[in-house]
Amino acid sequence: MIEFKNVKKIYTGGIMNTIALDDVSFLIEEKEFVSFVGHSGAGKSTILKLIYAEEKPTSGEVLFNGEDIANIKPKDMPLHRRRIGTVFQDFKLLQKKTVFENVAFALEVSGYPNSEIQKSVPQIIEIVGLSNKAENYPHEISGGEKQRVAIARALVHRPALIIADEPTGNLDPISAWGIIQLLLKINKLGTTVILATHDKEVVNNIKRRVITLDQGRIIRDHSKGRYAI
Amino acid sequence: MIILTLTRTFKAGFQNFFRNGSLTVAAVSILTLALLIISVILVISISANMGLKYVQDKIDIRVYFKSDVAEQDVMSFRSEVQKYKEVKAAEYISKNKALDDFKAANAGKPDILKAVEAVEENPLLASVNIKAANPEQYDVIAKSIENSSYRNDIASINYQQYKLVIDRFNSTIKTIRKTGAFLFILFSLIAILITFNVIRMTIFNHGTEIEIMRLVGASNNFIRLPFVFEGVIYGIFAAVISIILLFPIMKIVTPYVVGSAYIQIIQTDFTRYFVLIFLAQLVVGVLLGIVSSILAIRRYLKV
Repeated sequence: MIEFKNVKKIYTGGIMNTIALDDVSFLIEEKEFVSFVGHSGAGKSTILKLIYAEEKPTSGEVLFNGEDIANIKPKDMPLHRRRIGTVFQDFKLLQKKTVFENVAFALEVSGYPNSEIQKSVPQIIEIVGLSNKAENYPHEISGGEKQRVAIARALVHRPALIIADEPTGNLDPISAWGIIQLLLKINKLGTTVILATHDKEVVNNIKRRVITLDQGRIIRDHSKGRYAI
Repeated sequence: MIILTLTRTFKAGFQNFFRNGSLTVAAVSILTLALLIISVILVISISANMGLKYVQDKIDIRVYFKSDVAEQDVMSFRSEVQKYKEVKAAEYISKNKALDDFKAANAGKPDILKAVEAVEENPLLASVNIKAANPEQYDVIAKSIENSSYRNDIASINYQQYKLVIDRFNSTIKTIRKTGAFLFILFSLIAILITFNVIRMTIFNHGTEIEIMRLVGASNNFIRLPFVFEGVIYGIFAAVISIILLFPIMKIVTPYVVGSAYIQIIQTDFTRYFVLIFLAQLVVGVLLGIVSSILAIRRYLKV
């Protein structure tokens, strides 16, 4: 589903150019659950950004279902983004909108009709277990619940792939584990999940494929990996 | 899909407009000021133009013929002059007509009327009254009349005394047009820059929202249109406020520009111009809003 071929990413600017990724190649199959681990600056976020096309590779190819992402026209970029759900450490929720409205927002701005929104949003909110908080505002719910809202929003397009960049970074261990279990459940329902984290507990408990990065290079790729740096 | 996009983005733009509070006030007042300055310049040049046109209409060349010249000669002179491409109109004024006009002009002065009646023969001369298509051409017309075959029949050409006035007005019109155009362009640019910056600030305020929209796959129109609509609403509000403010301002400003003599004539003409000025403000305001918002949003739409 996702394939990196000799990808190199150099951030220019500043006194020195930063090599974020150096000759990275890997293949992620459909319905896999893959964790990227490594220190800050190891290149985890850069890999994710290349997949949802926030950044372009300096050299090499990033393939999505066999199609080079660099060839996607700007006009078609929104359609590419709808194939991918994204979840971040800082939730990125709109504070002035309720839980329901935050999730509905993703469908509204993509031009879905209201009938579809009224039907889909409650279903998704149910999946993440927040049916009783649908009318609450983000400041009225806990961190773990906020992240569930973000996941619901990521899921609302029924994407083939969920990208989670440090989704547990702001959460206590119990809430964090709840989020990971939710991601595992989503994965079980047939969605590919890519997780970037440096949370050792989390990685060791998932017992799925782990790709370890160090200074922009892949140093380990184990199918039942552990966090070991 | 298109209707859905338009209604949703219009709603979002409308909400932005009313929820932004102080920023909205800032944007509208700056846009109003810009429109106001532009329209004051417009009003000044329109009223100056009207004043000058009024004066220009009074300017003509009067060619007086010697009293022994036959009427048909004067008529043939008139028809020849009418063939000049610089000439807009040439009116024949007979001796009798000149006398009637003179009497009418001095109706309230019995002494003068008595004096005229005392003279048996009509003392006034027949003349041809020439108006040029363009005030700059009086010089040319006067010269060609002086050199024409009729020059021996002509008693006098009443032009020299107007020459100074005509020249002065010509240079005034040119200065007003030049400075008007310059100020118009200058203030348009200032207005664009200011609106651009205000809309950039509103967009900056919506940074998270735009980021989320991009991440969840909103189409570019969905990101752009709310700000475009916001710009349109700025333009409409600014146009309405500035036309309301313009009325009293114009009343104060115009007398200084054209002199109080022509005020009466000009102000009656102005009600016609107000609709035109309002439409111009509306178009300029809305365009400024749209252009500024499109420019300001552009860098947020990079892929």
